[in-house]
Amino acid sequence: MQKTDYIIELAGYKKEDFSVCLGCKICASVCTVNDLEMNINPQDLLVSLFLEQEVDRDHLLVRYCTNCYRCTSACPWRIKIPDVVRALRESLSVASPFEKAFKGSINIWGRVYEPYVFLMAIPFLLKEGYVKHMAKWTEYMSIHLPHKVKRLNRSNSLNNSHGLNGSNDLNGNKGRM
Amino acid sequence: MNYGYYPGCSLTGSARKLDKGVRAIFRKLGHSLNEIPDWNCCGALEYGDRNELIGLSRENLKKAEGMCREIVAPCPACYKNLKEANSDANFEILNPLELLDKEALVSLNAMRDLKGKVFTPYYGCVLLRPEETAIRNKTVMEDLITFFGGEIEGEKIKDRCCGGNQFFANKWATEKLSTLILEKSRGVMVVFCPLCHMALKTFSTKRKIIYLTDLLLYLTGDNNAL
Ligand code: SF4
Ligand code: SF4
Repeated sequence: MQKTDYIIELAGYKKEDFSVCLGCKICASVCTVNDLEMNINPQDLLVSLFLEQEVDRDHLLVRYCTNCYRCTSACPWRIKIPDVVRALRESLSVASPFEKAFKGSINIWGRVYEPYVFLMAIPFLLKEGYVKHMAKWTEYMSIHLPHKVKRLNRSNSLNNSHGLNGSNDLNGNKGRM
Repeated sequence: MNYGYYPGCSLTGSARKLDKGVRAIFRKLGHSLNEIPDWNCCGALEYGDRNELIGLSRENLKKAEGMCREIVAPCPACYKNLKEANSDANFEILNPLELLDKEALVSLNAMRDLKGKVFTPYYGCVLLRPEETAIRNKTVMEDLITFFGGEIEGEKIKDRCCGGNQFFANKWATEKLSTLILEKSRGVMVVFCPLCHMALKTFSTKRKIIYLTDLLLYLTGDNNAL
């Protein structure tokens, strides 16, 4: 299967679903990424995938889409562009160290154990200047024991889906951290 | 009424305040919340693969089988994911906001009102979009505040995005989007999403950012709630 087909399928669509797009660019007029003073047209992404063009990890939506669904609400066809972005991020394995730690926690405990996530993400948080916010975060922080040390029964809980890089995210995540 | 309860990871961690508030308000309303045993994470907004994400919530629904028909999930991300996983509609997935109708407000037996106070109810993205998983009453917070005599501000920004999803990837983006919301609002910010709470709080200077449950607890006489 072509890579673009895989991404479209991962987003829950078929290629022909995008052919209904009117090119009206209403999605662009409401996109939150434009509030970040970047000129972005989410429809471009659909066109690129439709034409089987490569979208790379530096694409502004891959980097900055906030999953706000403003585009979807405004689109006459309710096309879920954030689901497409999510699928692209998955296939390009773009996850911040924080997100990797988050997934690692689920892998170990089945839940997000926040002290573990913060511990794993410390180098990232230090480098990116999150430390200055720590004083305001005191009400969110607590050290407590994880609820239960228990691995998820993945064969029951997850469909058998594999990323393009050959690793199922939950199973492969540990190795990538 | 007996409800199944799915607190999710954030309500047992950084958003414990919301968990306590929801439990206290439900007690006051005469409802019982029975936690789904051994629940697992719903995947929040982090998973790229929808199949994996929905698989996690399906597992939670399996664990709730036989114990309830209605599941209360306060965290907007958990609520959305459970709703999407509930494709065979075995359950009714509810956000606490959907149970705060006029009847419920009257039965709260409030001891205070909100006269002379200004609030900006901020819903953020996940509670209001996309339509299939959004809450039904999209003015529930406004209705509640005005019911108790409070004044509403910032209607235009209530469904904008605080950038919480970018918080641990591109912090500056969250700062920019959250600051925009704070600037276009007035009074006490009232939120329901733990991620909005954290994003707005991190980038606000003097503003009060509270959960709606804090406001309800204040109304029912809790001196420490606000
Ligand atoms: S979901 Fe992404 S693409 Fe759509 S409006 Fe929001 S930021 Fe833009
Ligand atoms: S709003 Fe919808 S139909 Fe219009 S350009 Fe965007 S994706 Fe296409």
